[in-house]
Amino acid sequence: MRYLSLKEFFKIPAYDDPAELTLGEVAFDMEKCSRCGMCARVCPGAAIAFDGRPSMKPFPENQCMFCGCCAAACPNDAVIMKQPLVARFYYKPIGHGEIKPPRLFTE
Amino acid sequence: MPEIQRKPKKVPRQERIERLKQGFTETEQVILQRRSVRLYKPDQVPAFMVRRILEAGRFAPSAGNCQPWKFVVLRDEKVITALTDDTVKLCDILRNMVDYRKPGAAWMKPMVKFNTRIRKNDLHPVPFGAMAMIADRKLGLWHKAPTVILIFADVRGVSCPELDCGIAGQNMVLAAHSMGLGTCWVGFVRPAFDYMLRWKKFFGISYPYKFMSSLAVGWPVGEPDGMVERQTHAVDWYEDGLKKVVY
Repeated sequence: MRYLSLKEFFKIPAYDDPAELTLGEVAFDMEKCSRCGMCARVCPGAAIAFDGRPSMKPFPENQCMFCGCCAAACPNDAVIMKQPLVARFYYKPIGHGEIKPPRLFTE
Repeated sequence: MPEIQRKPKKVPRQERIERLKQGFTETEQVILQRRSVRLYKPDQVPAFMVRRILEAGRFAPSAGNCQPWKFVVLRDEKVITALTDDTVKLCDILRNMVDYRKPGAAWMKPMVKFNTRIRKNDLHPVPFGAMAMIADRKLGLWHKAPTVILIFADVRGVSCPELDCGIAGQNMVLAAHSMGLGTCWVGFVRPAFDYMLRWKKFFGISYPYKFMSSLAVGWPVGEPDGMVERQTHAVDWYEDGLKKVVY
Protein backbone atom coordinates (compact mmCIF):
# COMPACT_ATOMS: atom_id res chain seq x y z
CA MET A 1 0.00 0.00 0.00
CA ARG A 2 1.25 3.47 -0.83
CA TYR A 3 0.72 5.78 2.11
CA LEU A 4 1.98 8.96 0.48
CA SER A 5 1.33 9.92 -3.14
CA LEU A 6 4.23 11.33 -5.09
CA LYS A 7 2.85 14.83 -4.68
CA GLU A 8 2.50 14.34 -0.95
CA PHE A 9 5.96 12.89 -0.69
CA PHE A 10 7.56 15.88 -2.35
CA LYS A 11 5.47 18.67 -0.84
CA ILE A 12 6.44 20.03 2.55
CA PRO A 13 3.49 21.92 4.01
CA ALA A 14 3.84 25.64 4.65
CA TYR A 15 3.65 26.30 8.36
CA ASP A 16 2.11 29.72 7.94
CA ASP A 17 -0.79 28.61 5.77
CA PRO A 18 -3.93 27.27 7.51
CA ALA A 19 -4.78 25.29 4.36
CA GLU A 20 -1.61 23.24 4.81
CA LEU A 21 -1.40 23.10 8.58
CA THR A 22 -4.45 22.87 10.84
CA LEU A 23 -3.56 23.54 14.44
CA GLY A 24 -5.16 21.76 17.33
CA GLU A 25 -8.28 23.27 18.77
CA VAL A 26 -10.05 23.07 22.10
CA ALA A 27 -13.28 24.72 23.19
CA PHE A 28 -14.39 25.87 26.62
CA ASP A 29 -17.65 25.05 28.31
CA MET A 30 -18.29 28.43 29.89
CA GLU A 31 -21.00 27.05 32.18
CA LYS A 32 -18.50 24.72 33.86
CA CYS A 33 -15.50 27.10 33.69
CA SER A 34 -14.55 28.66 37.02
CA ARG A 35 -12.16 31.18 35.40
CA CYS A 36 -9.12 29.88 37.28
CA GLY A 37 -6.82 30.25 34.25
CA MET A 38 -5.07 26.93 34.84
CA CYS A 39 -5.56 25.89 31.19
CA ALA A 40 -3.65 28.93 29.97
CA ARG A 41 -0.87 28.42 32.54
CA VAL A 42 -0.19 24.78 31.67
CA CYS A 43 -0.47 25.13 27.88
CA PRO A 44 2.92 24.33 26.31
CA GLY A 45 1.86 25.91 23.03
CA ALA A 46 0.86 29.25 24.58
CA ALA A 47 -2.34 28.65 22.66
CA ILE A 48 -4.81 29.82 25.27
CA ALA A 49 -5.34 33.49 26.08
CA PHE A 50 -6.79 34.26 29.48
CA ASP A 51 -8.29 37.62 30.28
CA GLY A 52 -10.86 36.71 32.89
CA ARG A 53 -12.04 33.92 30.60
CA PRO A 54 -10.08 31.47 28.42
CA SER A 55 -10.09 31.59 24.64
CA MET A 56 -8.03 30.10 21.81
CA LYS A 57 -5.51 32.44 20.24
CA PRO A 58 -5.89 32.86 16.46
CA PHE A 59 -3.72 31.16 13.81
CA PRO A 60 -0.72 31.22 13.67
CA GLU A 61 0.00 32.76 17.09
CA ASN A 62 -0.93 29.61 18.91
CA GLN A 63 0.90 26.30 18.76
CA CYS A 64 -1.82 23.91 19.92
CA MET A 65 -0.71 20.31 19.34
CA PHE A 66 -3.76 18.76 21.00
CA CYS A 67 -1.77 17.40 23.95
CA GLY A 68 -4.73 17.70 26.27
CA CYS A 69 -2.77 19.23 29.14
CA CYS A 70 -5.45 21.92 29.49
CA ALA A 71 -8.22 19.34 29.60
CA ALA A 72 -6.40 17.26 32.21
CA ALA A 73 -5.45 20.26 34.34
CA CYS A 74 -8.94 21.79 34.29
CA PRO A 75 -10.50 21.18 37.71
CA ASN A 76 -14.02 21.46 36.29
CA ASP A 77 -13.80 19.39 33.12
CA ALA A 78 -14.66 22.48 31.09
CA VAL A 79 -12.23 21.92 28.22
CA ILE A 80 -13.63 20.18 25.17
CA MET A 81 -11.05 18.64 22.85
CA LYS A 82 -12.14 19.34 19.29
CA GLN A 83 -9.49 19.22 16.60
CA PRO A 84 -6.06 17.55 16.54
CA LEU A 85 -3.07 19.22 14.91
CA VAL A 86 -3.03 18.07 11.29
CA ALA A 87 -0.20 18.92 8.94
CA ARG A 88 -0.86 17.99 5.34
CA PHE A 89 1.15 16.52 2.45
CA TYR A 90 4.46 15.07 3.64
CA TYR A 91 3.47 15.20 7.31
CA LYS A 92 -0.13 14.04 6.93
CA PRO A 93 -1.36 11.70 9.66
CA ILE A 94 -1.87 8.10 8.55
CA GLY A 95 -4.50 5.82 9.99
CA HIS A 96 -5.82 8.20 12.65
CA GLY A 97 -9.38 7.57 13.76
CA GLU A 98 -11.86 9.40 15.93
CA ILE A 99 -11.06 11.26 19.14
CA LYS A 100 -11.82 9.03 22.10
CA PRO A 101 -11.04 8.90 25.83
CA PRO A 102 -9.32 5.79 27.27
CA ARG A 103 -11.64 2.85 26.76
CA LEU A 104 -12.16 0.07 29.27
CA PHE A 105 -12.69 -2.97 27.10
CA THR A 106 -14.34 -5.74 29.08
CA GLU A 107 -15.35 -8.33 26.50
CA MET B 1 12.13 -2.50 57.78
CA PRO B 2 9.49 -1.89 55.09
CA GLU B 3 8.42 -5.00 53.27
CA ILE B 4 9.67 -5.62 49.75
CA GLN B 5 7.54 -7.96 47.72
CA ARG B 6 9.80 -9.79 45.30
CA LYS B 7 7.17 -11.76 43.41
CA PRO B 8 3.72 -10.79 42.15
CA LYS B 9 0.84 -12.02 44.29
CA LYS B 10 -0.64 -15.22 42.95
CA VAL B 11 -4.21 -14.63 41.86
CA PRO B 12 -6.29 -17.19 39.93
CA ARG B 13 -6.72 -16.20 36.30
CA GLN B 14 -10.53 -16.06 36.45
CA GLU B 15 -10.40 -13.74 39.44
CA ARG B 16 -7.92 -11.50 37.62
CA ILE B 17 -10.20 -11.29 34.60
CA GLU B 18 -13.22 -10.46 36.74
CA ARG B 19 -11.21 -7.70 38.44
CA LEU B 20 -10.18 -6.23 35.09
CA LYS B 21 -13.83 -5.77 34.16
CA GLN B 22 -14.29 -3.54 37.21
CA GLY B 23 -11.80 -0.93 36.04
CA PHE B 24 -8.27 -0.10 35.00
CA THR B 25 -5.38 -1.60 36.97
CA GLU B 26 -3.17 0.77 38.98
CA THR B 27 -0.47 0.58 36.33
CA GLU B 28 -2.93 1.31 33.55
CA GLN B 29 -4.20 4.30 35.50
CA VAL B 30 -0.70 5.73 35.84
CA ILE B 31 -0.13 5.20 32.11
CA LEU B 32 -3.45 6.69 31.03
CA GLN B 33 -3.39 9.60 33.46
CA ARG B 34 0.19 10.64 32.78
CA ARG B 35 0.37 14.07 31.19
CA SER B 36 3.51 15.98 30.36
CA VAL B 37 3.92 18.51 33.14
CA ARG B 38 5.26 21.94 32.28
CA LEU B 39 4.53 23.89 35.45
CA TYR B 40 6.51 22.97 38.54
CA LYS B 41 6.73 24.14 42.12
CA PRO B 42 10.20 25.34 43.14
CA ASP B 43 10.56 22.77 45.97
CA GLN B 44 13.21 20.15 45.36
CA VAL B 45 12.28 16.48 44.98
CA PRO B 46 13.69 14.34 47.85
CA ALA B 47 16.86 12.57 46.69
CA PHE B 48 15.56 9.13 47.65
CA MET B 49 12.64 9.56 45.25
CA VAL B 50 15.03 10.33 42.41
CA ARG B 51 17.02 7.22 43.35
CA ARG B 52 13.80 5.20 43.18
CA ILE B 53 13.02 6.67 39.75
CA LEU B 54 16.50 5.70 38.55
CA GLU B 55 15.87 2.17 39.84
CA ALA B 56 12.82 1.96 37.58
CA GLY B 57 15.07 2.94 34.67
CA ARG B 58 17.76 0.47 35.69
CA PHE B 59 15.31 -2.41 35.42
CA ALA B 60 14.00 -1.50 31.97
CA PRO B 61 14.19 -4.17 29.29
CA SER B 62 16.95 -3.70 26.73
CA ALA B 63 18.17 -5.63 23.69
CA GLY B 64 20.41 -8.47 24.81
CA ASN B 65 20.21 -7.01 28.33
CA CYS B 66 22.99 -4.64 27.29
CA GLN B 67 21.60 -1.64 29.25
CA PRO B 68 23.09 0.91 26.85
CA TRP B 69 22.33 4.05 28.87
CA LYS B 70 23.96 6.60 31.07
CA PHE B 71 21.84 8.78 33.31
CA VAL B 72 23.00 12.15 34.58
CA VAL B 73 21.04 13.73 37.42
CA LEU B 74 21.12 17.50 37.40
CA ARG B 75 19.86 19.23 40.54
CA ASP B 76 22.10 22.27 40.53
CA GLU B 77 19.97 25.30 39.78
CA LYS B 78 22.91 27.29 38.44
CA VAL B 79 23.87 24.56 35.98
CA ILE B 80 20.27 24.06 34.86
CA THR B 81 19.92 27.80 34.29
CA ALA B 82 23.23 28.06 32.39
CA LEU B 83 22.39 25.09 30.18
CA THR B 84 18.91 26.52 29.58
CA ASP B 85 20.35 29.92 28.63
CA ASP B 86 22.78 28.37 26.17
CA THR B 87 20.03 26.26 24.61
CA VAL B 88 17.82 29.32 24.27
CA LYS B 89 20.68 31.11 22.48
CA LEU B 90 21.17 28.15 20.13
CA CYS B 91 17.44 27.91 19.48
CA ASP B 92 17.46 31.61 18.61
CA ILE B 93 20.29 31.14 16.10
CA LEU B 94 18.66 28.06 14.57
CA ARG B 95 15.29 29.75 14.52
CA ASN B 96 16.70 32.70 12.60
CA MET B 97 18.04 30.25 10.05
CA VAL B 98 14.70 28.54 9.47
CA ASP B 99 11.74 30.66 10.58
CA TYR B 100 10.33 32.08 7.37
CA ARG B 101 7.14 33.21 9.09
CA LYS B 102 8.72 36.34 10.51
CA PRO B 103 8.34 39.54 8.47
CA GLY B 104 10.77 39.94 5.59
CA ALA B 105 11.87 36.31 5.61
CA ALA B 106 9.55 34.84 2.99
CA TRP B 107 12.51 34.44 0.62
CA MET B 108 13.86 31.74 2.92
CA LYS B 109 10.84 29.53 2.40
CA PRO B 110 12.08 27.31 -0.47
CA MET B 111 15.44 26.84 1.20
CA VAL B 112 13.87 25.93 4.51
CA LYS B 113 11.55 23.47 2.80
CA PHE B 114 14.57 21.83 1.25
CA ASN B 115 16.25 21.64 4.66
CA THR B 116 13.08 20.18 6.10
CA ARG B 117 13.42 17.27 3.66
CA ILE B 118 16.87 16.57 4.98
CA ARG B 119 16.08 17.11 8.67
CA LYS B 120 12.51 15.90 8.61
CA ASN B 121 12.35 15.19 12.34
CA ASP B 122 14.01 18.33 13.65
CA LEU B 123 11.99 20.60 11.38
CA HIS B 124 8.64 18.88 11.82
CA PRO B 125 5.93 21.56 12.26
CA VAL B 126 5.64 20.96 16.02
CA PRO B 127 9.29 21.41 17.07
CA PHE B 128 9.55 24.13 14.42
CA GLY B 129 7.01 26.15 16.40
CA ALA B 130 8.43 25.10 19.75
CA MET B 131 11.93 26.19 18.78
CA ALA B 132 10.68 29.72 18.09
CA MET B 133 8.81 29.74 21.40
CA ILE B 134 11.88 28.59 23.34
CA ALA B 135 13.98 31.27 21.59
CA ASP B 136 11.42 33.89 22.63
CA ARG B 137 11.33 32.39 26.15
CA LYS B 138 7.60 31.80 25.79
CA LEU B 139 8.22 28.13 26.43
CA GLY B 140 10.64 27.05 29.13
CA LEU B 141 13.13 24.32 28.40
CA TRP B 142 12.72 22.30 31.59
CA HIS B 143 10.01 24.60 32.86
CA LYS B 144 11.98 25.38 36.04
CA ALA B 145 11.85 21.77 37.18
CA PRO B 146 14.23 21.34 40.15
CA THR B 147 15.56 17.97 38.96
CA VAL B 148 16.60 17.02 35.44
CA ILE B 149 17.65 13.56 34.29
CA LEU B 150 19.78 13.55 31.13
CA ILE B 151 19.75 10.29 29.17
CA PHE B 152 22.74 9.32 27.04
CA ALA B 153 22.93 6.23 24.85
CA ASP B 154 25.95 3.99 24.54
CA VAL B 155 26.03 3.76 20.75
CA ARG B 156 27.75 0.37 20.91
CA GLY B 157 24.59 -1.24 22.31
CA VAL B 158 22.82 -4.25 20.85
CA SER B 159 20.32 -3.61 18.05
CA CYS B 160 18.81 -0.18 18.76
CA PRO B 161 20.26 1.52 21.87
CA GLU B 162 18.18 4.66 21.22
CA LEU B 163 15.04 2.62 21.69
CA ASP B 164 16.37 1.04 24.89
CA CYS B 165 17.00 4.53 26.28
CA GLY B 166 13.42 5.42 25.44
CA ILE B 167 12.12 2.37 27.27
CA ALA B 168 14.25 3.14 30.33
CA GLY B 169 13.09 6.75 30.22
CA GLN B 170 9.44 5.81 30.09
CA ASN B 171 9.93 3.42 33.00
CA MET B 172 11.29 6.37 34.98
CA VAL B 173 8.46 8.65 33.87
CA LEU B 174 5.79 6.18 34.92
CA ALA B 175 7.52 5.51 38.24
CA ALA B 176 7.67 9.27 38.91
CA HIS B 177 3.98 9.76 38.12
CA SER B 178 3.04 6.85 40.36
CA MET B 179 4.76 8.82 43.16
CA GLY B 180 2.73 11.95 42.45
CA LEU B 181 5.56 13.73 40.66
CA GLY B 182 5.31 15.37 37.25
CA THR B 183 7.68 14.79 34.35
CA CYS B 184 8.25 16.01 30.84
CA TRP B 185 10.41 14.59 28.07
CA VAL B 186 12.70 17.33 26.78
CA GLY B 187 14.82 16.70 23.70
CA PHE B 188 15.46 20.34 22.86
CA VAL B 189 18.71 20.51 24.78
CA ARG B 190 20.35 18.38 22.08
CA PRO B 191 21.90 21.39 20.24
CA ALA B 192 23.88 22.21 23.40
CA PHE B 193 25.51 18.79 23.16
CA ASP B 194 25.80 18.88 19.36
CA TYR B 195 27.30 22.33 18.95
CA MET B 196 28.82 23.39 22.27
CA LEU B 197 31.97 21.66 23.35
CA ARG B 198 31.78 23.17 26.81
CA TRP B 199 28.73 21.17 27.82
CA LYS B 200 30.18 17.91 26.57
CA LYS B 201 33.28 18.75 28.56
CA PHE B 202 31.31 19.81 31.61
CA PHE B 203 29.45 16.50 31.78
CA GLY B 204 32.44 14.48 30.59
CA ILE B 205 30.48 13.14 27.62
CA SER B 206 32.43 11.62 24.75
CA TYR B 207 32.32 8.54 22.54
CA PRO B 208 30.53 6.11 22.88
CA TYR B 209 27.91 8.28 24.60
CA LYS B 210 25.42 10.24 22.58
CA PHE B 211 22.76 12.57 23.96
CA MET B 212 19.31 11.04 23.61
CA SER B 213 16.81 13.03 25.61
CA SER B 214 16.16 14.38 29.06
CA LEU B 215 13.43 14.33 31.67
CA ALA B 216 12.23 17.23 33.77
CA VAL B 217 11.13 15.97 37.19
CA GLY B 218 9.37 17.95 39.88
CA TRP B 219 6.28 18.58 41.96
CA PRO B 220 3.52 19.77 39.64
CA VAL B 221 1.45 22.89 40.23
CA GLY B 222 -2.22 21.92 40.50
CA GLU B 223 -3.31 18.48 39.38
CA PRO B 224 -2.17 18.15 35.79
CA ASP B 225 -2.46 14.37 35.56
CA GLY B 226 -5.70 12.97 34.24
CA MET B 227 -7.22 11.11 31.34
CA VAL B 228 -7.92 13.04 28.16
CA GLU B 229 -9.19 12.21 24.71
CA ARG B 230 -6.96 11.59 21.76
CA GLN B 231 -6.97 10.03 18.29
CA THR B 232 -7.48 6.31 17.86
CA HIS B 233 -5.14 4.61 15.42
CA ALA B 234 -5.79 1.96 12.81
CA VAL B 235 -4.48 -1.39 14.01
CA ASP B 236 -4.32 -4.28 11.58
CA TRP B 237 -5.54 -7.46 13.25
CA TYR B 238 -4.86 -10.88 11.73
CA GLU B 239 -6.83 -13.78 13.14
CA ASP B 240 -8.51 -16.96 11.86
CA GLY B 241 -7.05 -16.39 8.42
CA LEU B 242 -8.70 -12.98 8.15
CA LYS B 243 -7.50 -9.43 8.39
CA LYS B 244 -9.54 -6.71 10.03
CA VAL B 245 -8.75 -3.18 11.05
CA VAL B 246 -9.62 -2.10 14.57
CA TYR B 247 -9.44 1.39 16.06
